[in-house]
Amino acid sequence: MPATVQEEPSTEARFLRAFEGLSEKAKNGTVEAVKGRRRRAIERFEELGFPTNQLEAYKYTNVAKALKHEYRLAPAEAAPQASEEQVEALLLGDLDAHIVVTVGGRFSEALSEVGPLPEGAFVGSFAEGANAHPSVFHQHYGQYADFEAGDPEQRAMTALNAAFARDGLFLYVPEGTRLETPVYALHLPSAGDEPLFAQPRHLFVVEEEAQARLIEMHRTPSGYAPTPGSFTNAVREAYVGARGHFDHYVVQDEGAGASQHTTFGAYHETESIFDTLAVTLSGDLVRNNLTITPAGPFCESHLNGLYLGRGETHVDNRTVVEHAAPDCVSNQLYKGILSGKATGVFNGRVHVHRGAQRINAYQSNKNIVLERSAQIYSKPELEIYADDVECSHGSTTGELDEEAIFYLRSRGIPESRARVILLGAFARDVVENVRSGPLAAWLTDEVDARFGARTA
Amino acid sequence: MSTAETQYLQDVAEQDYKHGWETDIEADTAEPGLDEETVRMISAKKDEPEWLLEWRLKAYRYFDRLIQQEDFYPDWAHLDYEEPDFQNMSYYSAPKEKAQYDSMEEVPQELLDTFERLGIPLEEQKALTGVAVDAVMDSVSVATTFQEKLEEAGVIFMSFGEAAQEHPELVRKHMGSVVPYTDNLYAALNSAVFSDGSFVYVPEGVTCPMELSTYFRINEQNTGQFERTLIVAEPGSYVSYMEGCTAPMRKHNQLHAAVVELVAEEDAEIKYSTIQNWYPGNPETGEGGIFNLVTKRGICKGDRSKISWTQLETGSAVTQKYPSVILKGDDSVGEFYSVAFTKGHQQADTGTKMTHIGKNTKSTIISKGISAGVAENSYRGLVKINEGAENARNFSQCDSLLIGEDCGAHTFPYIEVGNPTAKVEHEATTSKVGEGRPSSSSSTASARRSSRSCRWSLPWRRRSCWRLNWKVRSADRLPLTCGSAGVWKFPGSESAGNLKTPTLPYPRTLYPPADRNVLF
Amino acid sequence: MALLEINDLHVGIEDTEILRGVDLDADGGEVHAVMGPNGSGKSTLAKVLAGREEYEVRQGSVQYDGEDLLEMEAEERAQAGVFMAFQYPVELPGVSQQNFLKESVNAVREAQGKDELGAADFIKQVRAKADLVDLDEALTKRSVNEGFSGGEKKRNEIFHLAMLEPRLAILDETDSGLDIDALRIVADGVNQLRDEDRAFIIITHYQRLLNYIEPDYVHAMVGGRIAKSGDKDLAVELEERGYEWLSGGNAAENGKAAEPEEAVA
Repeated sequence: MPATVQEEPSTEARFLRAFEGLSEKAKNGTVEAVKGRRRRAIERFEELGFPTNQLEAYKYTNVAKALKHEYRLAPAEAAPQASEEQVEALLLGDLDAHIVVTVGGRFSEALSEVGPLPEGAFVGSFAEGANAHPSVFHQHYGQYADFEAGDPEQRAMTALNAAFARDGLFLYVPEGTRLETPVYALHLPSAGDEPLFAQPRHLFVVEEEAQARLIEMHRTPSGYAPTPGSFTNAVREAYVGARGHFDHYVVQDEGAGASQHTTFGAYHETESIFDTLAVTLSGDLVRNNLTITPAGPFCESHLNGLYLGRGETHVDNRTVVEHAAPDCVSNQLYKGILSGKATGVFNGRVHVHRGAQRINAYQSNKNIVLERSAQIYSKPELEIYADDVECSHGSTTGELDEEAIFYLRSRGIPESRARVILLGAFARDVVENVRSGPLAAWLTDEVDARFGARTA
Repeated sequence: MSTAETQYLQDVAEQDYKHGWETDIEADTAEPGLDEETVRMISAKKDEPEWLLEWRLKAYRYFDRLIQQEDFYPDWAHLDYEEPDFQNMSYYSAPKEKAQYDSMEEVPQELLDTFERLGIPLEEQKALTGVAVDAVMDSVSVATTFQEKLEEAGVIFMSFGEAAQEHPELVRKHMGSVVPYTDNLYAALNSAVFSDGSFVYVPEGVTCPMELSTYFRINEQNTGQFERTLIVAEPGSYVSYMEGCTAPMRKHNQLHAAVVELVAEEDAEIKYSTIQNWYPGNPETGEGGIFNLVTKRGICKGDRSKISWTQLETGSAVTQKYPSVILKGDDSVGEFYSVAFTKGHQQADTGTKMTHIGKNTKSTIISKGISAGVAENSYRGLVKINEGAENARNFSQCDSLLIGEDCGAHTFPYIEVGNPTAKVEHEATTSKVGEGRPSSSSSTASARRSSRSCRWSLPWRRRSCWRLNWKVRSADRLPLTCGSAGVWKFPGSESAGNLKTPTLPYPRTLYPPADRNVLF
Repeated sequence: MALLEINDLHVGIEDTEILRGVDLDADGGEVHAVMGPNGSGKSTLAKVLAGREEYEVRQGSVQYDGEDLLEMEAEERAQAGVFMAFQYPVELPGVSQQNFLKESVNAVREAQGKDELGAADFIKQVRAKADLVDLDEALTKRSVNEGFSGGEKKRNEIFHLAMLEPRLAILDETDSGLDIDALRIVADGVNQLRDEDRAFIIITHYQRLLNYIEPDYVHAMVGGRIAKSGDKDLAVELEERGYEWLSGGNAAENGKAAEPEEAVA
């Protein structure tokens, strides 16, 4: 590290410089709409800088401070790719799915196996999809996670992504179409000498009366050594048309050294269902911004989260539900188990706009702290401007119930095992909200195994 | 909620401000403006000792440095109002005649009439109620009753100004120890220019023989009111204190920036109640009204000490206050009970901070916010469990009701837990008034929990405050119904305990539940 | 040597001494009822035997099957065949009763050198044992005790007892809060589980449970000691006369006059 602060360009400056270097190259493989916004995006980022905990929305998470490396902004050309066997090992046993794989944020044609899709549907590379469906793309790109709209405090990372993003996933299910099997997206880290700052961009469009389920897994293949210190700044956008149904599940498990900042903007129309789950199993700094706007009446939005913090993991989930339309239901359940020096943050906000009557919104955050060095910050917020609503929230934090542990022990179950059983039980209601059986089963085993390994 | 209760709430929401007359008493009012000279003038008027002037000046210089900074104004609350112009208000106003009276006979009739209209006739109080009242009008203490009886018990209850003269050692020791002048902008301002207030000292082992009460009123135009209250409860003592506030109707906003500090030593208990009914401004236009920006904090310094804040907030155009407790002593207890009613153009951002430092500390927060008209009502609270606070417990319940579709009700709790042995529970609900939605019976577990944490009585329902009853009635008849276990319940709020997922309106949606799982 | 031998047991928490020298022997096939007023220490005795850690054993010994019971962890005691039915069974939301019981039964079996119970046998056992206490089979599939009524929880405890087949079964005020029908069901279950090899210690406040479960021995506990032991007639006598005639004629409980002549030193 250089000796003085003056000589060291700010992290932001490095990105700005990199942008100037990259902009020519970035022309390849992306569409006009993206290119057109890059300049504005980088300018916005320059104004905003990386979020620090001076911002209320980042009160407990200092992103700027977590950027401690010199990053590469694109995977090295020569980076070793994962083998098909390694990918195979990371699939969910009996899950029949359209399989897409990205490495270092870039879609991998070779490792993906999309298989047959209903007519008109698209599952694959963001860049390719944008070329194949320019009008869909034009209509939706940058609409739900915009660096010029929404919470000003949450725009910086979106702007940075919009400036650099070159690839990711694109899912398109046209009107009235059902994806009969779910999409299984496997995101693998890239290997190399320098840590990668990946900026994938995903767009999911499920049109009127269409249905899809997407399971995204961030995992690291065994025998595959990702560079520690990688940072992923992902932006996801989802649109669900009237009477559509979209399930989106994401599992973050890239290992203790990897950080993620994700921004997810979802917009759903009248009588549609949007279901999300964010599971964080490992990571260095993980921050998920989720904003859902049920835009028409009779929508259902389900937000589920489960985070297991160990070591020095810092997990921060911020959710915003913008109830702009009346007669909707939203339901949030976020649960955390924190040990070691881990930090868990939940900041959920339910915002009922004026005129959005007859909203039922529910928010629950529950945490178990296993060790005294772990920290919990919980900030469930209700902001209500309509009178005929029923909104509530609850937050609890505590240890495992000693009485319950003793009860299990008195029935012959060893203490360490009793703890694992109770932690599994604690996570159960989140897992039960997962509509994909194979994923739910995998999660149950995983929670069990991780704490079994820890306490045994 | 019964129809009658609903109707009552509606009526209260539509009621006019009853205390908007002004008293024609000649007052000694300073020219608007604030500089070091203003501070010196206030101190000189009050004939203060040198140390107090020095302290004021330090606070003033801090304030002055603060306002030089860009973005110095604390605007993070959910409030929308024009920043007061600190140079355009007067920092001192006192009834012109001698401010302190030796006996009731000396109190001018206009003043007595004023208090009569307020519902605090000093004479009658003295004769009937057993409440010692220190009435503060435009920040100067005008009469204190029941001195002798208090003196007998060794309780000191006097205006802040007197206390600074007569008990400088006590005032010096504790003033600023809970709310330092560096705490925030308004704490700094108050420390620089406070004009009077109340001082209470309860010696070791003494249970204060009566409820203490101070009544505040802003009378002059364009004056800010900056009173300071300091209550010190020595080991094993007990005191219950109540303040009440009103102000005349004015076209312009007036600032009220008080500081209240409470110190509870070992085994001591302080109960502090507030009935705040400052002029809320014109309900139609939002013109005028008091900006009530107050810093209130207590410290449970000793083991097993207890501080309990109770507030009924019905007035002021803007209210921002977070009566807080620092739970430093082991086994200490902090409580916050609040009913905040905003209507017309009123805005309130209120709540509490409970900072758990000692072992086995407990805090309870019960907040009810009611919003009507185009008012905004926010609960904002912090529960912080420090790393060393073994076995800390907190229970918070914050319920909001909305009357009409143009108001807002918000909940912003901050929960920070740094010790795994802590148990922290927070619940909040927001719903409509008088809906008559079916409320399912609460589970036994939740009832048990609530009865533990929510058993409280409004202090103004007790013996002393008979003349304040008109306001009290609004508290008595708030739409709280007392459940079987003594649980306060709002309709539709599933009291404490089991937070139930709202029933999803499946019939309205495309896919009935049975169908969903076979999709894939 | 008896299965359980308690000698001069002194137990306390912080400054309070709760048990002040308890002696009690129980052997297979015997049912011992321990009765006493609130605060006499009878529930503490049950909890100490089950292995609760907040109590400090200050003096005395407990031998179980020739081993020092007090040296064993709670789970080791359970594995060695000690079972306590809780006065307040704990709700375990999210813990499926089936999985829990399977794990519990197999942990005990493994410790005792028995084979793991297969899935089919397990289900068969669950049905049979649930029948013993008339427990709705649906309840055996739910989360442990979650949303169970008071009576269901108590029956569930006896169901667990039946599944785990302990050698020493301690019932900690299992009768409290039960109506007569539930009491009879619980008692019937216990009676069916009486066995040559199994000892029961039944902690109770009232005599009424003993109308349904006939004890071999009744011990009256007062002030942290067993003040008097006898057969089932002692229970009836205690019910009629209260406990104060045993406690040296101090505070009159249940409004009855103290009768010191029969007090035990």
